[in-house]
Amino acid sequence: MTDNMDREPMLEMFIFETYQLIDQLEQALLSFEKGAGFEASINEIFRIMHTIKGSAAMMLFDNISTLAHSMEDLFFYLREERPENVEPSKIIDIVFEGVDFIKAETAKIESGLEPDGNSEQLKEKALEYLQHLKNSNPSSDNAKYEAKKEGTKESHENVEQKYYISSSKNTQKLMTNKYEAIIFFEDGCEMENIRAFSVVHDLESVAEIISYVPEDVMENSDSVQTIRDKGFKVVFKTDLGLDEVKDRLYHTVLLKDLQVFLTDDDLEGFEFIENKEIDVEQKEAQSNTEKKNIVLDDINEEQIKDFDKKSESGKASLENVKEQLKTVGKQSVISVNIAKLDLLMDLVGELVISGAMVTQNPDLKGLTLNNFSKAARQLNKITGELQDIVMSIRMVPLSMTFQKMNRIVRDMSKKLDKSVELEIIGEETEVDKNIIERITDPLIHLIRNSIDHGIERSDERLEKGKNPTGKLVLEARNAGGEVWIIVKDDGKGLNREKILERARVNGLIHKPEAELTDREIYSFIFLPGFSTKENVTEFSGRGVGMDIVTKNIEMVGGSVQIDSIPGEGTTFLIKFPLTLAIIDGMIIAVGCNKYTIPTIAILESFRVKNEAVIEDENGNEMIMVRGECYPVVRLHRRFGIDTEVTDFNEGIMIMLESEGKRRCIFADELLGEQQVVVKALPKYIKKVNAIAGCTLLGDGDISLILDIDDIIQ
Amino acid sequence: MKKVLVADDATFMRTSLRMMLERNGFEVVGEAENGLVAVNKYKEMNPDIVTMDITMPICDGIKAVQMIKEYDPNAKIIMISSMGQECFVKEAIISGAKGFIVKPFKEDYVIETLAKL
Repeated sequence: MTDNMDREPMLEMFIFETYQLIDQLEQALLSFEKGAGFEASINEIFRIMHTIKGSAAMMLFDNISTLAHSMEDLFFYLREERPENVEPSKIIDIVFEGVDFIKAETAKIESGLEPDGNSEQLKEKALEYLQHLKNSNPSSDNAKYEAKKEGTKESHENVEQKYYISSSKNTQKLMTNKYEAIIFFEDGCEMENIRAFSVVHDLESVAEIISYVPEDVMENSDSVQTIRDKGFKVVFKTDLGLDEVKDRLYHTVLLKDLQVFLTDDDLEGFEFIENKEIDVEQKEAQSNTEKKNIVLDDINEEQIKDFDKKSESGKASLENVKEQLKTVGKQSVISVNIAKLDLLMDLVGELVISGAMVTQNPDLKGLTLNNFSKAARQLNKITGELQDIVMSIRMVPLSMTFQKMNRIVRDMSKKLDKSVELEIIGEETEVDKNIIERITDPLIHLIRNSIDHGIERSDERLEKGKNPTGKLVLEARNAGGEVWIIVKDDGKGLNREKILERARVNGLIHKPEAELTDREIYSFIFLPGFSTKENVTEFSGRGVGMDIVTKNIEMVGGSVQIDSIPGEGTTFLIKFPLTLAIIDGMIIAVGCNKYTIPTIAILESFRVKNEAVIEDENGNEMIMVRGECYPVVRLHRRFGIDTEVTDFNEGIMIMLESEGKRRCIFADELLGEQQVVVKALPKYIKKVNAIAGCTLLGDGDISLILDIDDIIQ
Repeated sequence: MKKVLVADDATFMRTSLRMMLERNGFEVVGEAENGLVAVNKYKEMNPDIVTMDITMPICDGIKAVQMIKEYDPNAKIIMISSMGQECFVKEAIISGAKGFIVKPFKEDYVIETLAKL
C-alpha cells in the first residue's frame, strides 16, 4: 500500500471484513465437515482465504497473508484435483487453527497492537498436509495441478511447445512492414510474462506475429526474470507505419522503455539493446539459442475438437450464470458505521421529544387550532415512520450469532468427547444490533455450560436410556414486544440440592428455604462467585461467567429464567425488548409526579368503586374483575408520595401483565399516551426498585419509567 | 472524468481502489461484490472502465468479462489479480480484458494502468 494512503479507515474496514470473512469461513468449514455440498464449501473456503490473503498483503500483515496463502494453496489443490483419501477432519482442524490465528491477530490489530504472532508453524502444517495429499495421490494429476498453478492451462505433454495463436483475420492480408520491438516493463509491476503475452495478444489484431523472445512466456516462470533483465522482444509484420506501431506500443501499460525499428531479419535480427547500444556478445548468444517459430493456421484437428469442446462448456457455464443473473435481484448494500446509526437513533429520539414539545406545548392549551392539529398529526405520522425506518435499519437477524454457536458446540464436544447435536430454530428473528452484540457472549456461555455440565457422555446417556447424542436447541422467537431466546438441552438437569447447599455456604439465601421456589433456587447460579463444579475445565466452571450472563442481558433490558427437570434437561429463557430506545408509553400521574408505563404491559384501565376492593387478613388489597381476583398496588404507597387521591373512587385502576402474571396498580389519573425515548438513570443513582429508566416528556418534565416486572413480582 | 466500476468481493479492496481512483481524478460510479452484479451494473451505468477481481463468488471475474464483452465489445476492463493467477489473467485477456493489476498494488501503477486505456 502506498504511503499516502490513509491507513485508519482502511484498517477499520480490514478488521471488519476479516471478521466477517472468518464468520463465513467457519460456516463453510462446518458444512464442509458435515459433508454437505463438499465442493461448494471447498470453493468458498478457497475464495475466502484468497480474499484474506489479498487484503492482509495490502495492509502489510505478512503473517496473516502467508498463512492464508498456504491455506489457499491447500484448497486450490482440493478444488482442482479432488484427491482421494482426504481426511476432512484433519483439514478442518488445520484450517480452524489457522482461523483462530487470524482471528487472534485481527483482534490484536483491532486493539491497536502489532500483529506479531508467528504463523510459520501453522503454515508448515498446511503445506505439509498438502504435500502428504500430493504424495498419496498419483503424479499425473499433480502434473496437471502444477501446470495450472504455474499458469499454463495446456498440459505439459504438449512436447512440441508450439504456439497456436489463433489465426487472426489479418493474416490473409499482405503485411508489408516488418518490425521488431523491445519492451521493458516498470520495476515491480509483476507478472511481466502475462504483460508480454498481453502485448502479443494486442498486436495480433493488427499484425502477424512472427516470433518473440523469451518464447515460453506462459510455460516458464523463469521467463519473468528474463523479461525483467533483458526485456521482451517481438518481431511482427504489419501494414502500419512506424509511428503508428510506436504509438500503439507506447500504450502498453507500465511501460518503462520501448525500442521499435524496421527490420528485414527474422529472429536473427533480434538484438539485445541496452541504452540503444548493440551488445554484440549477446547478439551472438542469441542467435545460438534455439528459437521456436510461431505456427499460424496450423492447428491440428484434435486441437480444434478440443477447442470446440472447451468453448461449448464455456458457453454452458455462461448460460448458467445468465440464468442466475435473472434470478438475482438488484439489491445494493452498503455498510455503515454503527456509531452513525447510534447517532441517527439518538437524533430521531430527540426529534420525537421535540415533536411532542411542540404539539403538546402548554401554551397551546385551550386554543382551537384546526390547522395546527392537522399539521401536528402529519408531523407525528412522519416522525413515526422515520423512527420505524431507523429501527429497521438497526435490526439484524440473529442468524450470524446463532451460526457461530455451531463452532462452539463442535469444539466443545470434541474436547470433552461428548456427542452433541445443535438444532437452531428461528434464526431469522431480527433484533437490534446493540442487542446482538451483547447477546453473543452470554449465549456462548450458556451453551458451553450446557455441554460441559448438562449433557452427559454418550455411555452415560445410553445407560439412562437416552439418545447417545445429546441435543441442544437454540431458538429465537418474537413474543409481543419482546424477543425470546431459548437455550435448551436434554442433559441431566440442574442439581437442586447442590445449588441450595452451595448457596447456603456462600450465604446467598436471604429468605426461609422452604419458601424458595425451584426457579429461585436455580437462579442462584447467576449470582457472582457461584459454581458447583469442583473440577474446572477449560471451558466453564471457573465461577466467573454465569453472573456475567445476567449482567450482559440486563444491560440490554433483558432477563433470564431457568427451568430444569432432573434427568431431562435444562432450559434457559432469555427475554429482551425488541428495541431499547423508544417505547410507547402511558403517562400517569401520582401526586405531582408523572410516571410512564410501557403501553405493551397495560391490559386495561378502569374506574372502581371502593366496595370492589377487598382486603385479606394481612391487609393486602385485592380486586375482583370478571370473577378473577387480582392484587392491588397503590403506587403512592409504593413510592411514598403524598397525594390527595387515596380513595379508589377518585383515581384510576390499571391492569398490568408481565410473564403471565397480572396485577392492578392504582394511580391518580391517566395523562395520555406518548412515545417516549428511554434514557438510563444517571450512574450516580443506584438501581432503584421498580424503576426501569427515565424519559423527557413533551412539556419538558421528567418522567420515571416503571419496571413492570419488578412491580408484579 | 472517467467513470469506473469497481468489482471485487472484498469491501476492503473496493474501498482501497475507490480511494486511490478518486484521489486521482476518476469517478467511481459503482461497486460490485460479484461478477453478476458487475455485469448488471455495467449495463445500468455504462462506465468507461471496469476493474474486475478474478476470484469472486457466484460468478468469477473471467465469466463477467465474457458477459460484459458480449454486451459491449468495446468495454474496457482491467483485471485485478493476485500473484499465482497467471493463467486466469491470460484467459481474461483472451476474453477481452485490456490489462491487469497485480495485488498488492501500488497506487501509481494502478493509475497508469487505467489512464492508458
